[in-house]
Amino acid sequence: MAEQTVAPQPPLIEGRGITRLYSMGDSEVAALRGVDFSIQMGENVAIIGPSGSGKSTLLHILGLLDRPTAGQYLFAGVDTDTLDDDRLALLRNRAIGFIFQSFNLVSGESALENVAAPLVYAGVKRKERLERAEESLARVGLSDRAHHDPSQLSGGQRQRVAIARALVTRPAVILADEPTGNLDSRSSADVFTLLQELQAEGLTLVTITHDQRIADRAARVLRVEDGMLVEHDGVAPSYLDGAPTQGPTTAPGNPPTGAVVPAAEAAGQARTSIGLAALGLVAEDEQ
Amino acid sequence: MSFLEALRLAVRRLRTNPLRTALTTLGVVIGVASLVALIGVGEGTQTAITNQIAGLGTNLLSVNAGSSTVGGVRGVAGSASTLTVADAAAIATLPGVAAVAPEMSVSNVVVVNGRTNTTTTMTGTTPAEASVRNYQIQTGAFLTDLSVTKGLRVAVLGPTTVTDLNATPASIIGQTITINGIPFTVIGVTQPKGGSGFTNPDDAIFAPITAVQSRFTGAAALRTIGVSLEDPSQLAYVESQITALLRYRHELASSASDDFSMVSQDQLLTVASTTTATIRNFLIGIAAIALVVGGIGIANTMLVSVRERVREIGTRKAIGARRRDITRQFLVEAVIVTLGGAVVGVLLGIAVTGLVGSAVNVPASPTLAGIALAFVSALVVGVVAGYWPARQASRLDPVEALRYE
Repeated sequence: MAEQTVAPQPPLIEGRGITRLYSMGDSEVAALRGVDFSIQMGENVAIIGPSGSGKSTLLHILGLLDRPTAGQYLFAGVDTDTLDDDRLALLRNRAIGFIFQSFNLVSGESALENVAAPLVYAGVKRKERLERAEESLARVGLSDRAHHDPSQLSGGQRQRVAIARALVTRPAVILADEPTGNLDSRSSADVFTLLQELQAEGLTLVTITHDQRIADRAARVLRVEDGMLVEHDGVAPSYLDGAPTQGPTTAPGNPPTGAVVPAAEAAGQARTSIGLAALGLVAEDEQ
Repeated sequence: MSFLEALRLAVRRLRTNPLRTALTTLGVVIGVASLVALIGVGEGTQTAITNQIAGLGTNLLSVNAGSSTVGGVRGVAGSASTLTVADAAAIATLPGVAAVAPEMSVSNVVVVNGRTNTTTTMTGTTPAEASVRNYQIQTGAFLTDLSVTKGLRVAVLGPTTVTDLNATPASIIGQTITINGIPFTVIGVTQPKGGSGFTNPDDAIFAPITAVQSRFTGAAALRTIGVSLEDPSQLAYVESQITALLRYRHELASSASDDFSMVSQDQLLTVASTTTATIRNFLIGIAAIALVVGGIGIANTMLVSVRERVREIGTRKAIGARRRDITRQFLVEAVIVTLGGAVVGVLLGIAVTGLVGSAVNVPASPTLAGIALAFVSALVVGVVAGYWPARQASRLDPVEALRYE
């Protein structure tokens, strides 16, 4: 492919003319109408837009939970249309971490078991699984809650467990769907800080959000409206929740985190290679 | 996901809702326990009836007088007077024959002991009857050669007859009873053989054939001759020998059909086995229905469980579960419930088999084959019942599932 000869690495995520139609009875409704996008490894991208604009659909497609009706979606240069359901599951498992608005932890299983769950599907042995889950929980500062049931945790703690679960497979990208949408302001600040730290360490972060700070902090803002995508380049539009009167704001003092400290960049490189290793595995399987 | 992981997950899940798990399991428990118990009862019935027939005499071949044909109407077997005591004596000389007992039956004789009376069948026979028909003596003695030679009016009673006469074996020995008004002295009582359904071998009177002929029947022909074999494997050979002998003695033309017939114990056993197998299969059928109902319970619970866990399924798919991982998770859950139910059901079945048996008056005990059958059927039911809900779960669209409230 042309991109691959020009750039040494293809974009992590690339969409060309992505369209997603839903049939509602006799008629068809378009959630996405031919959007193009490209996200590089290590980027911090916010997706904003009013309810029903198609941003959730976009995130589902980015996360390989859904397939576009038309258009081409490349993940690490691989055309996902050529992958069967099992390969998509493998990619979700190795390369993508999900964070949901409502946490989606499995009750009846401890925080530790929840965090370790993706490793079960990755075929990691139990001992290593629990070790890695403990590390991941430690990273989000919840080592002391490892054996609690999710129902015994506060909302903020639950979301941090969910983040630990998303991190445990060392994915290339984290897709977050309104990660602070169900949290009070203090928990919300904790989760926000945590996500920014992780991104600064080199993780690719794509967040659907109404949260002003997340949008402010993002290096790029993609705005979805009526199934169309508008690039905002660090400018959050005025209709974001909690900021209806502020008007468009750039984020002074919060430079796009793509260009932070050199150490973070090095870590980003490491992650990139880990992510690609997972993808290489998939690509190998394909042949 | 490895099988072990699926197992771990399923056990954890089942423990979060113990009451539901217990109730679902109960359906299987009842089905499996019924299978074990009813197969035990079925087998017990078969064994009891088989033993009863075997108790009538081992290696027994019964020669019956052939039916008479009068004016084109074929009479019942034994209605023609073709067998004689001399025939019996001739059969006794054949090779392979262990003992021969001529039998002269008199039905519906009235027996009176003091103020009590009963009605039964009297058999005039010889001492060989005891070995041919497998009678053991409980008190006193069986008929002797002397009593036959002399035509003595002595009688050996079956234990049921003794009870019917309001007496005990000890009290009736030496007593004089009357049979159709003719006095006989009781010299012995046989051991109970046990029996129900067929004619009761314990309700009987044995007297010397000579006495019966002189007092009741005259020199009429025998109805049956009991023949016991030295070796059951020689049955066909002995049968052909007897046929040839009797045809010769009865001077039958080669075109004439036999004026006698033979029934071996084997044939009786075969008929009885067929009958009891039918009974047993019927019982198994009832128990199988119970098990199927248990399976429907599992399928129902699993469907509810899938419905309740749609979001969990969506989440698992998002974090990398493949379809077969989800299928396995739910299938293993169903199989664990069935397996648990089967184990408890087998134990319960073993415990209640005896109770059910005694309730229907059959010596029932659980059989290994029954347990194995119940266990395997339960597993099949569990897999079948669990498969469909598991497949439904695995086919959920992850986007829909994550959105599900």
